Amino acid sequence: MHNETALKLSTLVSSSNAKAVMATLGDSNVTVDSGSILEVCRALKSEGYNVLQCITATDYADRIEITYVLADFTKNLELLLKTNVPRGDGNGNNKDTLPKINSVASVWRAADFQEREAYDMMGINFVGHPDLRRILTPDDWQGYPLRKDYIVQEKYLDMVVNPAHKINSADHMFGKNLKLEIGDPKKVSASWKSDDADPTAEEAKDGE
Amino acid sequence: MSTHHEPEDKIMLGDQEILKSDLLTLNMGPQHPATHGVLRVEIKTDSEIVVDAIPHLGYLHRCFEKHAENLDYRGIIPFVDRMDYLAAMSMEWGYALTMEKMLGTEVPKRAEYIRVLVAELQRIASHLVYFGTYGIDMGAFTTFLYCFQDREEILRLFEELSGARMLYNYIWIGGVWNDINDDQLTRVKNFVDRFEPELLKYHSLVGQNKIFIERTAHVGVLSKEQCLDFGATGPILRGSGVEWDLRKNRPYGMYEKIDFDVVVGKGEKGTVGDCWDRYYVRIFEMFESIKIIRQVLDGIEEGPVMGKVPKIIKVPAGEIYMRTECPRGELGYHLISDGGKTPYRLKVKSSCFTHVSMLPIIAPGQMVADLVASIGSIDIVLGEVDR
Repeated sequence: MHNETALKLSTLVSSSNAKAVMATLGDSNVTVDSGSILEVCRALKSEGYNVLQCITATDYADRIEITYVLADFTKNLELLLKTNVPRGDGNGNNKDTLPKINSVASVWRAADFQEREAYDMMGINFVGHPDLRRILTPDDWQGYPLRKDYIVQEKYLDMVVNPAHKINSADHMFGKNLKLEIGDPKKVSASWKSDDADPTAEEAKDGE
Repeated sequence: MSTHHEPEDKIMLGDQEILKSDLLTLNMGPQHPATHGVLRVEIKTDSEIVVDAIPHLGYLHRCFEKHAENLDYRGIIPFVDRMDYLAAMSMEWGYALTMEKMLGTEVPKRAEYIRVLVAELQRIASHLVYFGTYGIDMGAFTTFLYCFQDREEILRLFEELSGARMLYNYIWIGGVWNDINDDQLTRVKNFVDRFEPELLKYHSLVGQNKIFIERTAHVGVLSKEQCLDFGATGPILRGSGVEWDLRKNRPYGMYEKIDFDVVVGKGEKGTVGDCWDRYYVRIFEMFESIKIIRQVLDGIEEGPVMGKVPKIIKVPAGEIYMRTECPRGELGYHLISDGGKTPYRLKVKSSCFTHVSMLPIIAPGQMVADLVASIGSIDIVLGEVDR
């Protein structure tokens, strides 16, 4: 299905450079060039993908990958459409230094909130979006939290973010003590991530 | 905060303006009983008519997705509970399914049955909260008491199963944490036997009530096209007459073998896709859930409840997008793994988030009181909206 879609996309939108990426495990996807995303989405909508499920982004060290999850409710299909943009500068709160991509809010109105979330969390400037504001964090928040290099700001409106007395270290201490008490780190459930991760516990796998 | 717009129609006496009506900005929420949580809706009204409504989110934002990147795969489950805290079982099931698909884990038959059982009980419990609070929104206090009484029975059972009333951590990767015993199964049977006629009574008491119909029929109409355009799912989409249910269309778990119907709104009391239709869909979904629970009780077989899962879970590199039908709509997990012990990226597609985005198209032209009816009928949980 992905190969056919990619082939069809290359004929419909010549600049899209559509490629099917087949996965052995999980979901395959179709990757296109970021410059032609709007045309590609228009073409896919006319092909029957009537619902945009969500827009999400992933930060890799050298690029940001944007994923559009599309669905066709008549033929019961699902498609992951991917595109890559450079990372840009995600510090501060400046839209101009962010990577740019065309908004698809004119194709599916679902993209309105989804793009706002991607902008807020990952720092992507969706050009042509009707109302690109931060949605989950306050308007004057600094940085984009889901980027891998994000460091939370120390103060927001003169309030200390993450004051030391509010960080719950009890869980970490509990795990640490339990490991000492039992003596065998493998016997301690690893439902928390403590700083003193035991190297032997790291290697232990496929137990049972 | 308030901004004033110049309205076009001024009332003139000769060349003198005698009455000028400004647009009034009202903030509904964050602390408002009708927003069902900490949602703020900025409403612009022209006297009693709503001109515009802008939802402001984020009061419950915890950045779950960032947390998930620092937790191991088992440790994420309690966090998942806290998204839709009224339907935590459904949240867990979606997550467990995503992981099992990536790990290739075989889930024992009995665990699959228990999952369907708890998910459908959870659907009833969740819809009962909707029904009860919606009654209050519409000025009928009694439904709330009835509904919470019945919901309590389900929560008591869940408490026995998992140790918690609302945030269960019960469905684990590979199965369920704790087995259900025969006594509890009998109680479930007694509950559905007792509850079915009760529910019919509530429906005739509230759903056929003239005041309730006047308040909900023809109010907050969402067309099929609007729903698809906005990506709405669940009872909202079905209320607008689209027969789409993942349990039927893309079956997971045991649903393939279970016989039930998809309830769609027909515009019985008003227009297709109005508040009454969404109410109707939810009520009759509860009857379908009862039907499913009966089949589970008949079919459940003995056996283990936990599959074989490695002690330390490492998901092979790859990605997956998995969606399940939760009480409030489709929940999607998009997992990207790089082969480590923690997810590289875990995105949650929340249905409530999508539904909140529809407020600006429902609201214009409505009375303020009807906006309360509309917000109630889309049934949002802010924990899932803000994550």
